Amino acid sequence: MNAPFTIAASGPLTEFTAVSKWYGPVIALNDVTLHLGPGITGLVGPNGAGKSTLIKLLTGQLRPSLGRVRIRGLTAWSAAAKAWMGSCPDVDAFYDEMSGRAFVRIMARLHGFPARLAAERTEEVLGQVGMAERADRPLGSYSKGMRQRIKLAQALVHDPELLVLDEPLNGVDPIGRAELTVLFRQLAAGGKAILLSSHILEDMDTLADRIVFLSRGRILASGSLAEIRALLDDHPLKVRIGASRPRELAARLLRSELVLAAELAGDEVVVQVRRPKRFFASLAEIVIEESYDVERLQVIDASTQAVFDYLVNWNP
Amino acid sequence: MNDDTHIELAGYCAWSGRLRPGWLSTWPIARTGLDLVFRRKLFWLLLGLGLLHFLFLFATIYLKAQIRVQNPSVNRFVDTMLKSVAGAGRTYRDFMTAQGTVTMLLLAFAGEILVGNDYRQGGLVFYLSRRVARRHYVVGKLLSIALLVELTTVLPALILYLEYGLLTESMSYFAENTRILWGILGYGLVMAVTLSLLLFALAAWLPRTVPLVMAWSCIFLLLPAFGAILRSAYGDRRWLLMALWRDMRLIGSWCFGALESGRDSPLLVGSIAVVLAVCAASAVAILPRVRAIKVVA
Repeated sequence: MNAPFTIAASGPLTEFTAVSKWYGPVIALNDVTLHLGPGITGLVGPNGAGKSTLIKLLTGQLRPSLGRVRIRGLTAWSAAAKAWMGSCPDVDAFYDEMSGRAFVRIMARLHGFPARLAAERTEEVLGQVGMAERADRPLGSYSKGMRQRIKLAQALVHDPELLVLDEPLNGVDPIGRAELTVLFRQLAAGGKAILLSSHILEDMDTLADRIVFLSRGRILASGSLAEIRALLDDHPLKVRIGASRPRELAARLLRSELVLAAELAGDEVVVQVRRPKRFFASLAEIVIEESYDVERLQVIDASTQAVFDYLVNWNP
Repeated sequence: MNDDTHIELAGYCAWSGRLRPGWLSTWPIARTGLDLVFRRKLFWLLLGLGLLHFLFLFATIYLKAQIRVQNPSVNRFVDTMLKSVAGAGRTYRDFMTAQGTVTMLLLAFAGEILVGNDYRQGGLVFYLSRRVARRHYVVGKLLSIALLVELTTVLPALILYLEYGLLTESMSYFAENTRILWGILGYGLVMAVTLSLLLFALAAWLPRTVPLVMAWSCIFLLLPAFGAILRSAYGDRRWLLMALWRDMRLIGSWCFGALESGRDSPLLVGSIAVVLAVCAASAVAILPRVRAIKVVA
């Protein structure tokens, strides 16, 4: 656990307990219960799903209509709770005349750092996000990617345990994305909890340890992508197998009750299977028994996008 | 690879230490506001305009002192000719009131930078994601506005007061005129509190410059004009209470002990009531703009 500063706090890092939030007659979040722990949690949902509301509740910008949001046992909108949380909002209209360095330093000062320490912390985090050399320019002259880095720097400046990142890779160039991805992974590996919202679902495939799928204010599913995918019995998993004797392999697989359909595509077989864990175990047995040479094995529709589509269109 | 190694690789250095209390964060908020204001040339121009009046009085006081020293026989003539720099409470009250014109202009344009931008561009999110409560944010912003007011009114008045005292033959001026010192501070406080609350409230609801300047003009130009018309029509001086700047001036006169008993005294209570009402209404208007939505149950 990182610096708790001088604030006494206990309890889970982040907990949403039966949280509902409505704006007049419109319900934005409906009975959401969620716990966030160390690692990267992706937040995925279509427009209007309640992602922004959930983030605003967590960062203390809003109070719930019902239920409670707590960070280390403190109500999320209290000033004390902010010591544990760093927020990187999607807003990037700063004070255009101010330099990036001054902006981050002021944010550190607002956390209660004395001037000298604030300056030291500022230099550290600017180095971390790769902005140390460019931080003296006015914020108004920054590209979208540079603004994202500065926002990240101000979120990290007080060494929080929880990072709430709203579209943090939006507008960042490919090299920057790779750098920031590594940074996120390293921070998560160091025990920090990161809640990451992104509309680019491919980001989630590589970044998120767990994903929370939101739709119409409710949590549709949460857990690792593999866990969620395995639960989607209505949507057989598509697996592409590149092997020797594909026709024979397809015929052999069709004899299994776990395989619903098989299709030949060149030297590959695309099968639709249910109960993926059992299927992969039986596939291994078949391959050994029949001496097939398997060159490729790829799950086609277990990406965040595919799971997201299944969940959103799911009608129980 | 353990957790610490990962953190080390990230270039991350955990910090542990004692943080300063939230109230001290109001100063960085205020300083940031002033810093942003003084990056604009327009504000230096307005300050320069305000400084012209100050420099004129400063030079006049100096000139008067020099004439007195070189030719004491013309003392009475000089006092008659330069009534406006007599060194009495009224001199400072009138000076601070005159500075108000520049202060009004300065605040009308600074409102967007100091407060409006936080609402229009979402800067409030950054402040409120820090370890500062909403009250710290509000106080910090009010402080930045109040400092602008003090900079154009109280500070130059204090300098003139010092100059006047130092250029008299003895230091007795300070001892005999302590009321003036309290008057400067009191009038300054009334202006700072009233104007900062009013500007914050207006800029929080009208964050863009044009609507803000229009609303500001309505309060400080249109309402007084309307009050004057009503006064002429009905012959009741209480209509003049609609002029907020005049109300503050009246309270300032009382602070300086320069109240004109026949003309001003009857309106003093009304002026205090108007100023308090404006402050209370502004505070009420500010609250919903900085508060998270209420808990329903």
